[in-house]
Amino acid sequence: MKTILSLLFTVTIAALVARADAPPPACCAAKEVQVLACCAKAEAVATATTSSALSGRSLYQLNSTWTTDHGVTLQLAAFRGRPVVVAMFFAQCEYACPMIVSDMQRVRTALPAEVRANTAFLLVTFDSERDTVAALHAYRNRYGLDDHWTLIRADAANVQDLAMLLGVKFKQDARGQFAHSNLITVLNAEGEIAHQRAGLQGDVSELVAAVAQLTPSNVHSGPR
Amino acid sequence: MFRRTSILVILLLVAAAVRGATTSAETAEAMAIIPGGIYEPILRGKDEPERVTVPAFKLDVRPVTNAEFLEFVRANPRWRRSQVSPLFADVGYLADWAGDLELGPRLPPDAPVVRVSWFAARAFAAAHGKRLPSTAEWERAAAAGFAQVDGRTEPGFRAAAMAWFAQPTAATLPAAGSGRPNVFGVRDLLTLVWEWVDDFNTVLVTGESRADTGLERTLFCGAGAAGARDLENYPAFMRAGLRSSLRASYVVPNLGFRCAQSIELSPERLTATAP
Repeated sequence: MKTILSLLFTVTIAALVARADAPPPACCAAKEVQVLACCAKAEAVATATTSSALSGRSLYQLNSTWTTDHGVTLQLAAFRGRPVVVAMFFAQCEYACPMIVSDMQRVRTALPAEVRANTAFLLVTFDSERDTVAALHAYRNRYGLDDHWTLIRADAANVQDLAMLLGVKFKQDARGQFAHSNLITVLNAEGEIAHQRAGLQGDVSELVAAVAQLTPSNVHSGPR
Repeated sequence: MFRRTSILVILLLVAAAVRGATTSAETAEAMAIIPGGIYEPILRGKDEPERVTVPAFKLDVRPVTNAEFLEFVRANPRWRRSQVSPLFADVGYLADWAGDLELGPRLPPDAPVVRVSWFAARAFAAAHGKRLPSTAEWERAAAAGFAQVDGRTEPGFRAAAMAWFAQPTAATLPAAGSGRPNVFGVRDLLTLVWEWVDDFNTVLVTGESRADTGLERTLFCGAGAAGARDLENYPAFMRAGLRSSLRASYVVPNLGFRCAQSIELSPERLTATAP
């Protein structure tokens, strides 16, 4: 995770330098993981003042704040610049979620090495109450998810917003379990939905193709 | 009492129109208290309770009007037709308006606003210190008859709701608030436009319900009919069907909304759970 954060940090600094003449704020210059949110905000400000604004279809227009299983806060726009494979889940899910994670792992394995290195894998929990930072971290360990994976949580309102944008339906039942859509979504570098797979049919070839198509030469045009 | 409230509301609205501004104090007058009660879902999954307790809450007595939404977009440029992000409202958003800040001669200011997305409706509610009602809250309010709390057994109540389905949507919608009030003083729930609810996306039925939802065959089809209750409540099935087909950016020519407010200090965003 530290690798990914330092990479993000570098990218953020690069973006700041490239997009705005203003130097990065002091909080952003400190090399600590906790400053990521600050950097992301600085980047958002820089972005807003330049022509490289987010596209109308970009999910990164959401400015909600999320917390990772490492306790780091971030905004979704922190993923800007590379493909993201994202799914919503909850840690106590016994049936579908492990299959979704397993399918995402298979996508990752099947990607060409240079694409894999540039692709983020994101798991967003429905369960704002029970999936604490510690619970998410335990989930990471249980499934052996390495630094290329990010597990995030937020309050119920922010979860609902993201679910609405991804088209994920979910409902908590009386036992606290969630019934939910089984959806894996591919976002392009700009945070636009490039591909979605519904269901648990097990075939990941279309997902792999969708991510592979978002190679650096294509990421800025997007599939639409 | 409700009549007095209505007159007050009308006076306030007139005053607002004269000044060209609506304050939150005025819109707050147009809410009714819905006492705590029970919502019985017409369709439910195998693990869902038959009866859902709904705490008391406040609900707008009528849907939000064009005039009110116009004030909102005037104050919030990002929700104007020309500026709204396509992520949050599809093409067709406020398409019946003459312009960004103009309803046009054929659109009554007091008619319910339609062609608004869930995101826009929720932003309007938040701007007024309110929220969208949950499905449980909305259905709880809509189950009340004209004269008694349980509309199911009230002669003529269900027929009035059914009659709406026999009519095509009027080219010009009637004024919001012109319908007959129910026992809580709330109007137009069943006979004017469809209305957004906050958690519309909890109806786990889709075109491919066997494949893409965690609930398999528990809604609709054979299993759904077996688990359904109150089979004569056709409008409730229609609402469930509509909600299941929506996405949050959709805009629909006869889908509007009204706002709710929690009475307790801790607002609950999603459906109330069983005790």
